[in-house]
Amino acid sequence: MANLLWLQGGACSGNTMSFLNAEEPSACDLVTDFGINVLWHPSLGLELGDNLRKLLNALTSGQMPLDIFVFEGSVVNAPNGTGEWNRFAGRPMKDWVSDLARVAGYTVAIGDCATWGGIPATAPNPSESQGLQFLKRQHGGYLGANYKSKAGLPVINVPGCPAHPDWITQIVVAVATGRGGDLSLDEFQRPKTFFTSFTQTGCTRNMHFAYKVSATEYGQRKGCLFYDLGCRGPMTHSPCNRILWNRQSSKTRAGMPCMGCTEPEFPFFELAPGTVFKTQTLMGVPKDLPKGVDKSGYIKLTAAAKAASPAWAEEDIFVV
Amino acid sequence: MASDNGAVLKAIADMLENGLKTQVEPFPETDKEFAEVLLQLRQLDPKDLKSKLVISGFLDQPYGPDRQRCLECMYYLVHRKWCDLPELSVPVEPDWWCRLWRI
Repeated sequence: MANLLWLQGGACSGNTMSFLNAEEPSACDLVTDFGINVLWHPSLGLELGDNLRKLLNALTSGQMPLDIFVFEGSVVNAPNGTGEWNRFAGRPMKDWVSDLARVAGYTVAIGDCATWGGIPATAPNPSESQGLQFLKRQHGGYLGANYKSKAGLPVINVPGCPAHPDWITQIVVAVATGRGGDLSLDEFQRPKTFFTSFTQTGCTRNMHFAYKVSATEYGQRKGCLFYDLGCRGPMTHSPCNRILWNRQSSKTRAGMPCMGCTEPEFPFFELAPGTVFKTQTLMGVPKDLPKGVDKSGYIKLTAAAKAASPAWAEEDIFVV
Repeated sequence: MASDNGAVLKAIADMLENGLKTQVEPFPETDKEFAEVLLQLRQLDPKDLKSKLVISGFLDQPYGPDRQRCLECMYYLVHRKWCDLPELSVPVEPDWWCRLWRI
């Protein structure tokens, strides 16, 4: 039996909603099949007031073991580093985070806000938000670069806005069943099993990417969303087109651009007007090219691909 | 439809060959500048072909040191010989160019 505690900092509850929609395994499976004891969760916990505080104190004192500490949302430090803007159970949430992370077997950050600060940490960051161990791309975050949980791992980052339900439950199951040591993390402490391939991997529009046919409107049944509509699929590490959403689709499959929400810079360009859903270019060439491709290679590839493109690439292929 | 496109293509080619002065510069370097050109195009009568060509800076030849041309542009449909940018939506030749070129 592994004790799990889930708390929320500066959050919209999006990752909680995602978690509750998990299917493989589901939130109920965690309890019935994998022996996870959910001590408390903002949407599921029964304890309130003194009883909740008693539970938290039992964990921070070591009286009750905390095997998995899950945190959703940013760590709010405002105003002036006090954390008073986000109080919970009688004290700033950030103080609970410090004490609970110290005693946790594993600490798991769910969603962009908990991993790198996310939207709350976007300039000018009025809530002085941080992720648990990163602030955007900068290592450190609230717990500091040297933090390791009792199991010897840094914070396990499961980013996304929100994170996919199955990424959450599968990582929780892995650590709860003693396979935490098998997790291989990338430079941003994301499990490599999910975050090595790109959003583009498995995208049904890859043929249009290859032949350089652009979608020019949302929901169009032909064309790649990278060239004009700001899709970040070729630069974003996520399995969104391998582990499908609602088990059947993804943003790009439905004709909407990937926003790169599993990367530390999300939201990109700090949401400046004209930067969302619009490919940023300089002299007609995208500023952000597919990972590992340089400008001259990109231009050569485009010329060759256009010259070779078959007629069907210009037609609607996702016909109802 | 194909013959309509052919007639429009010829009309464009004739205007350019007869020396129509179009707004080749400034090239919209940033997306904001690009969006401003699009905005001007959206305000036109869709049938006002000449103004479309002028505002978008059409040329009947490649442009610049990189010899940019429609053929490599994202909006160019090779088999239809068509510019698929919604604000333009005109038939074009692969060796033409306009300042809304992007790759």
